[in-house]
Amino acid sequence: MLLVKKGGIETVIEDWPGRIGYLDNGMAASGAFDYVALGLANLLVGNPPGEAGIEIAGGYFEAEFGVDTVISVTGTDMKPTLNDQPIPLWEAIRVSKGDVIKFSHFGEFGFRAYLGVAGGIDVPVYLGSKSTCLFGSYGGYEGRKLQAGDVLNFGKPQEDLKSLEGRKIKKEAVPEYSRVWELRALPGPNSCPDYVTKEGMDYLFSHEFKIQHSSNRSAYRLEAIKGINFFARKDGGVAGSHPSNVLDHAYAIPGALNICGDTPILLIADGPTLGGYLCALSVIMADLWKIGQGIPGRDYVRFVYCTRDDAMKARGELKELLSEKSLA
Amino acid sequence: MEKDYSVILDALPEDGARPKVLFRQAGDGFLQVEYGEVPRFNLIDSFRVLTVNSAIKSKKIKGLYETVPALRTNLYHFDPLELPVEKLIAEIKEVEESLTDVENIVFESRLITLPIAFEDSETKKAVEKYVKEIRPNAPNVINGYNLEYVALCNGVTVDEVKKLVCGTEWYNSGNGFWPGGGFFWPLDPRCAIVVPKYNPPRTWTPEGAVGIGGPCLYIYPTPTGGGYQLLGRTIPIFQFSQKHPLFKDSPTFFKAGDRVRFYEVSEEEILSIYKHVHEETDYEYAIKTGKFVVKDWLSFYNSEEVQKGVKELLAKQEAGSKVAPRV
Repeated sequence: MLLVKKGGIETVIEDWPGRIGYLDNGMAASGAFDYVALGLANLLVGNPPGEAGIEIAGGYFEAEFGVDTVISVTGTDMKPTLNDQPIPLWEAIRVSKGDVIKFSHFGEFGFRAYLGVAGGIDVPVYLGSKSTCLFGSYGGYEGRKLQAGDVLNFGKPQEDLKSLEGRKIKKEAVPEYSRVWELRALPGPNSCPDYVTKEGMDYLFSHEFKIQHSSNRSAYRLEAIKGINFFARKDGGVAGSHPSNVLDHAYAIPGALNICGDTPILLIADGPTLGGYLCALSVIMADLWKIGQGIPGRDYVRFVYCTRDDAMKARGELKELLSEKSLA
Repeated sequence: MEKDYSVILDALPEDGARPKVLFRQAGDGFLQVEYGEVPRFNLIDSFRVLTVNSAIKSKKIKGLYETVPALRTNLYHFDPLELPVEKLIAEIKEVEESLTDVENIVFESRLITLPIAFEDSETKKAVEKYVKEIRPNAPNVINGYNLEYVALCNGVTVDEVKKLVCGTEWYNSGNGFWPGGGFFWPLDPRCAIVVPKYNPPRTWTPEGAVGIGGPCLYIYPTPTGGGYQLLGRTIPIFQFSQKHPLFKDSPTFFKAGDRVRFYEVSEEEILSIYKHVHEETDYEYAIKTGKFVVKDWLSFYNSEEVQKGVKELLAKQEAGSKVAPRV
């Protein structure tokens, strides 16, 4: 059991891959933003990589443990402490009843930290997932971010706590963080030559886009497209007067890059499932975790062109990464 | 690396009633199937999408997570390690080739009657917030709201916009955007108003807001962002608590193939219904079950009278598009 003392900026319960199978009812999958950090946090404490953990965006989360258990902290380094003593990241740590964990704020690199607990977080499974959908106010802990006074229960640990203690992630398996996040992507479904010019696609695949302050769990807004001849059409025809308008189509979320007017918006976790703006590229599944570490208002993203074969290979590598092989 | 921006992985040629079918790359775990090379607003495409969609679903293809039908596209979400995209395309082609006759489709379709308060104070707040926080001097905001802009784009008056919105049944091509929201299209083409969407979109819209973007009407199920021009507000179409009997089995209301008709009421009435849905849970929704006969709709759509009205509206819209500012 965990008693929340401070909810922090935005702390939510998320699993992975979230709520799959409800896109046709307007329900996005939600799920952990950085599923690599969550997955490794889970491996450390003996959980399946997709088990629900605590996603801490920004920082300032504080909580008191009500039981003895084993935990792990991964993701960005928010200088976590246990009873005011610093604790390492990417490592399984024994905690006792009454211990207080505190997180400062995001640091040099990355924006979200993950707290894994042996047995996972025990919240109701809603439509196949424990993930919180903030924009629909459902799932997770009462459909909202955590606040002081909330009490979270833990699931039953899968392994003996003693055997978990001291587990570490191999150095080479700890993801590298950056301030310019390189996301491999495939063009489409709306690309060159019918929707976007070649110049426009080249721009998308080379420009460093600053992540805007208004980014949230449904969409990461990027800086507007400027100074180039981006659209291949002069208007959206029957779909509207702006060339970014299309007759409403489903968005391939997570990962589709929506062009709303002149603003590129990366649709993710809680994002809209259908809409009337074109989608020029899709970030490959294996790289999507990075966006969860992108700091709104400070970091940049750059889309790196790749092929379908590269994407398949990366999926295979991701599977390897989120396996016991990553344990030291 | 030489960048190849082509995204059409495969295609089926046009064949009689079937438009060309394009298989578009949409990331490594999604495939978009698009009907027709030139985008068109024709509900016959949606009838096809929904028919193919049911057939695909009944095949229970291993590795296919889900499909997301829209007006003239269907999005397939799959695990490419289990189901290679080529195999998925082959499965879809098989269904496409076995479906020849869209004109004879008859499907279940409820007729739902909903009240609407035009230019109510809640959706007005969303427009105010947009102007204040996102785009001051937005050309689609005239006198603090979007209705006059919608009228301007279509070469009609605000009163005429209201009549057009209430003058047709709106057909749902499939749910999406946010939980339980339907994408509605006018079944009477004489009421097909068309407007551009926000640029950039809003960050907040109240529950029950009714908006229009392109020729598509949307009802916002919960408070969210959005890019459609706002017309007013209707009653709840989503209830997570599932307290009201309508939402007993699911927090969402609409199904693909539903039809909605609006009638104008005051804002007070709308607010009172909110209370009777969310708090007292005794509001009775007006729902009639029925069938939609594609053949009947086609003869209505193609009738001389309707086509004459369409031409008149198009002429007004052409004049409107010349004077309305671009967003």
